[in-house]
Amino acid sequence: MNRASFPACIFLALLVVGGGIFGLAGGAVSAPFPPSPDEQEARAILLEIDDLWRATSSQGRVRMEVKTANYTRTMLMDIWSKGKDKSLVRIVSPLKEKDTASLKTGNTMYTYLPKTDRTIRLTSSMMMSSWMGSHFTNDDLVKESQLAEDYNPRISFRGRRDGKEIIEFTLQPRPDAAVVWGRIVMSVTAQGHLPLLATYYDEDNALARTIYFSEVKNMGGRLLPALLKVVPTDKPGEYTELVYEAMRFDLDLPESLFSLLELRRR
Amino acid sequence: MQILFFALRNFNRARTRTWITVGAMGFACGIMIFYASLLEGWLAGMEKNAVGMDLGEFQVHAHGFRADPDLYKRIAGQEQVLSLIGKEGFVAAPRLYASGLAAAGNASSGIELRGVDLAREGLVTALNEHVWQGQWLDGQDQAGVVLGRKLARILGLAVGDEVVVVAQAADGSTANELFRVRGILKSVAEGVDRSGFLMPASTFRRMMIVPDGAHAIVVKRQQATENLTQATARLARLLPGYEVCNWRQLQPVLARLFEMSDIALVIMLLITYAAVGILTLNALLMSVFERIPEFGVMKALGFSPWGLFAMIVAESLLQVTVAAGLALAAGLPLSLYFSTHPIDFSGFVQSSSTIAGVALDAKWYCVVTVNSVVLPILFLYLIAGLAILYPALKAAMLKPLDAIYHR
Repeated sequence: MNRASFPACIFLALLVVGGGIFGLAGGAVSAPFPPSPDEQEARAILLEIDDLWRATSSQGRVRMEVKTANYTRTMLMDIWSKGKDKSLVRIVSPLKEKDTASLKTGNTMYTYLPKTDRTIRLTSSMMMSSWMGSHFTNDDLVKESQLAEDYNPRISFRGRRDGKEIIEFTLQPRPDAAVVWGRIVMSVTAQGHLPLLATYYDEDNALARTIYFSEVKNMGGRLLPALLKVVPTDKPGEYTELVYEAMRFDLDLPESLFSLLELRRR
Repeated sequence: MQILFFALRNFNRARTRTWITVGAMGFACGIMIFYASLLEGWLAGMEKNAVGMDLGEFQVHAHGFRADPDLYKRIAGQEQVLSLIGKEGFVAAPRLYASGLAAAGNASSGIELRGVDLAREGLVTALNEHVWQGQWLDGQDQAGVVLGRKLARILGLAVGDEVVVVAQAADGSTANELFRVRGILKSVAEGVDRSGFLMPASTFRRMMIVPDGAHAIVVKRQQATENLTQATARLARLLPGYEVCNWRQLQPVLARLFEMSDIALVIMLLITYAAVGILTLNALLMSVFERIPEFGVMKALGFSPWGLFAMIVAESLLQVTVAAGLALAAGLPLSLYFSTHPIDFSGFVQSSSTIAGVALDAKWYCVVTVNSVVLPILFLYLIAGLAILYPALKAAMLKPLDAIYHR
């Protein structure tokens, strides 16, 4: 019943770094018209950001803290990814949910439930449901690579803000795209292009949620924000915090890791 | 008295025409009694499915639950609320709701989990008697669940099969359990058929980590004599901190459909009786025209225009009364027969058909009510009364001398 929804590009930016932070690089390919110089520049910078975050594969450990009006919970998870389309998340703690795992391959998502020893494929009706009680939805994971196809980016601000030189991007949905958001605004540092802030607006142009990136650290040889905080606008006091405890990139992960058989392995 | 005597005498003068007219009126009225009883039966069936199987007469919720159902929007201290409702002369049962996912084999589907108070649910709905296959829930069988008919079909489940459920528990954890299908419901309503996943309240509380409270309290009048709106107001006064709605407010589309059905009956009566009215008008006009010289003589002998008018009206009303008697003699037994022997439309109506989200029963029973009998007869009198106005007035306005020599 937790209905907050977050684009998976951000989700994967923190949970499965190998997926690419903004996933926009591929978007240029599918543009129906030649992009404007402004859009070309935006895409070029975003490609750079994407390259910064993307790896052929990744492995790591993430701590997720969820605070809602009704509960606060902390989970520890191991994560693996390969390319943009394959990711695996396995819960390490709490004990009650240990070994519960989510596998995403392409647009399909499976969940393994150790208590019942069953693997289920999530249907469209469950896509907007909360993922593991957080402010992420299952849909966030599945649609992580579609942002580039659904939105047109442009640079909306370049200069100094809050004492930092930044570049701000505004993503507008394409006319034919079936998307949740009316507009997405992302800010990155001008130097290094590290993400700082992402704001999501609904179709009425009202702010729906904000994602804060902070605590930049060197992880696996890459400089990345280690803390991500998702704050839904309509639920004051609630948030989901993701803390990267360890990350490794460009590993030789076998394809079999992202199989239903591996999903069930404890 | 004299007018009645003349009316009785005239009734038998042109027997063939009289009995054809009476027969047509009687047939139409008899058919309408049957139709009205069938319509009443259809509506009663819809109401039974919607109210008696699912909604209950009234529902009590925590504020905001209906607009945005939430596992946390519960009626706290449900036993106290149930006790208050009971003291006010109602019977009530608590329910728990949550959304989740059910999976069996490669199939999965979104579900509405419903925790049922097995001791009390039977007081407010007859859902426990509406099982199509298998058995109703049992407190001793905590892993046994009852599913909606469409849901069972979507998941390919039969009685005895295993099904896994995933949902988000109240503490944010992933609730998941393996259940066994104990029963599959007959068609109830679109929502229950497609996603209804019923389990004992104790199982729901354990799985979803909801130790207390209820998401809805379903209430029923012990005696359905009190007006629904008044009873709703009484409940709302009793429970000021909660949202109280009757089934008409919970299902406004259905309530509107019921209101429209009365109008549909009246329209049907008007269409059917329009033909009867034309027939009556024709018969009476013939009767008046062929007796014009006779009316002239009567007027010459001192019969007043209004006396003549009253005689023709009395003749017609006599015919209508005989027709009504015939209609009752035919239509009432027919309707009563079909009140125990339903017309089976299963060949034409799919078992999953719904109207306004409420399951449509393929077997239609007649329900004979005062309305279904009296309304067709009253309309017959009304239409026939209108049809005889013109011939009766024409006879009343005749000039005696012109009438006597009329050829």
